Amino acid sequence: MKTNNTKTGMKRARVISGIGTYTVLVIASIVVLIPILWMLSTSLKIESETISIPPKWIPDNPSLEAYSRLWSEYPFLTYFKNSIIIVLSSVFLSVLFSCLAGYGVTRFNFKARKSFLSFLLVTQMFPSIMMLIPYYKVLSTYGINDSLLGMIIVYISFTVPFCSWMMVGFFRTIPLELDEAAIIDGCSRWKAFYKIILPMTLPGIASSAIYAFITGWNEYMFAQVLINSPELKTVPLGIAELNGFYKILWNDMMAASIIASLPLVILFIFLQKYFISGLTAGAVKQ
Amino acid sequence: MKRNSKVGIAKKPFDTKTISLRNITPYLFIGPALIALVALVVYPLLYGFYISFFKTNLGNRWDFVWLKNYLDIFSDKTFVTQVWITLKFTAIVVVAHFIIGTFLAVVLNQKRKGITFFRTILVLPWLFPEVVVALIFKWIMNPLYGLLNNALLELGLITENISWLGSTKFAFVSVVAVAIWKGYPLVMVNVLAALQSVSEDIYEAAKVDGANKIQTFFKIVLPSIKPVLTTTLILDTVWWFKHYTIVWLLTNGGPGSDTSIISIEIYKQSFNYFSFGKAAAMSVVVFFICLIISKLYRRFLDNED
Repeated sequence: MKTNNTKTGMKRARVISGIGTYTVLVIASIVVLIPILWMLSTSLKIESETISIPPKWIPDNPSLEAYSRLWSEYPFLTYFKNSIIIVLSSVFLSVLFSCLAGYGVTRFNFKARKSFLSFLLVTQMFPSIMMLIPYYKVLSTYGINDSLLGMIIVYISFTVPFCSWMMVGFFRTIPLELDEAAIIDGCSRWKAFYKIILPMTLPGIASSAIYAFITGWNEYMFAQVLINSPELKTVPLGIAELNGFYKILWNDMMAASIIASLPLVILFIFLQKYFISGLTAGAVKQ
Repeated sequence: MKRNSKVGIAKKPFDTKTISLRNITPYLFIGPALIALVALVVYPLLYGFYISFFKTNLGNRWDFVWLKNYLDIFSDKTFVTQVWITLKFTAIVVVAHFIIGTFLAVVLNQKRKGITFFRTILVLPWLFPEVVVALIFKWIMNPLYGLLNNALLELGLITENISWLGSTKFAFVSVVAVAIWKGYPLVMVNVLAALQSVSEDIYEAAKVDGANKIQTFFKIVLPSIKPVLTTTLILDTVWWFKHYTIVWLLTNGGPGSDTSIISIEIYKQSFNYFSFGKAAAMSVVVFFICLIISKLYRRFLDNED
């Protein structure tokens, strides 16, 4: 490398590493895309064609029937409604709580501050399975098992600690001088918080909202245990249920899978950078 | 965010001198989160701990049995085996995530045409819900009509259909493969973000000092992104150690208990056998295992800071 530092040598090295780069990327992309495209292809088939041997990538009679059946023969409209209610409520509550906590922890010195922070960190180690049996019992004691409210409570118990942890990371990056300036200018504490500082943490809010959304939208285990009524089931439950029938209709299942995945893919396309910044925000400094 | 970092990162985490406060204000801010944590995390955890000392159906029957549940699960070989399976599962999955994720992050951390396009594709597995991922692969690995068997048959690599998820020989490997496919983007995305925050000067300096690319990566780049790696490692380990959904939907823990990782076992103890006390005791053990793992990581990875 050192001796061969001529321009043509460098150029050749760059071309070779370019070929290497693209080879790696293309192979990795194929591994990622095959299952996804196969899901798409299956969802466009009619039932008899899903089980043709050898399997066909491009259906002979492409049809959207599987998609329309989701709304007519299966109650996916209800499942979506339930998922959306649960997820949006838990997103809203966890963002609200974690913004307040993030500001409080970074702006004040108080007794419980240190233990609060380390507790936030320790909760990341709690395996959620530990909460399964307690929640199963506690929610029924209070009569909110098998209800959307119960699920919202369960999901914010996952998201509040992590979102708070993320928001602490984001609030740390905002200089305290801004609070001081605002308060000297006559703002109250609350006004300084929501008028000056909060708007500056919008990227952080987006990140924690996305995290809370993903968690709630994908959660399966707790929903499976805590929800019994068919009219309260969430999307993951609805899809997994298609797997349980004696005869599995793969085209219907794959159509449901695609529809359930769309919200996250669309969110990602528009809000890419917030997906990434959130997870590392807390990592910079504990 | 960018604008702020120019102003400078706050050096002191708090300030009490210039602004006079009443003592209660901070608690108004952290109050809601604190109450949520105590009511929704601490209380259920303690309650789970409490249940682990009882033989109970969670209804009318509560027999206090001291440590019998714990003695039972440890004298019973199956639980120890399942912890071992879970550790093996987690170790393979996490190591693979880090190797694949870091490698792809390094490849993606170049200025070339089409990189954004590839980055979006490679992140896709992360965006698909676990239920969906499980079902796609269940379909692909279907012994009769699945894509995998038919492709391998066509290529002449196998002569008869393989039951990927139903045979002792392949079930564990298949489940691990799916978990790797689903989880590597998280590591990739985090490492990529960290790599992009490493300043160009470091690379230049290394080049001037005559370090080659591999040396630069292991001696200079990796140490500078270590905080991100450590956090990602802990999260990834805990997440996959307690994993449930994908394995449950693929194999239900079978065949036999070949893929019965610990969360599945706890689920079965609770809701198939209704031994809630025993399941709660298992959960407590899992909690301590996770705690030990993360303490070990911190011990070994954070000591230089």
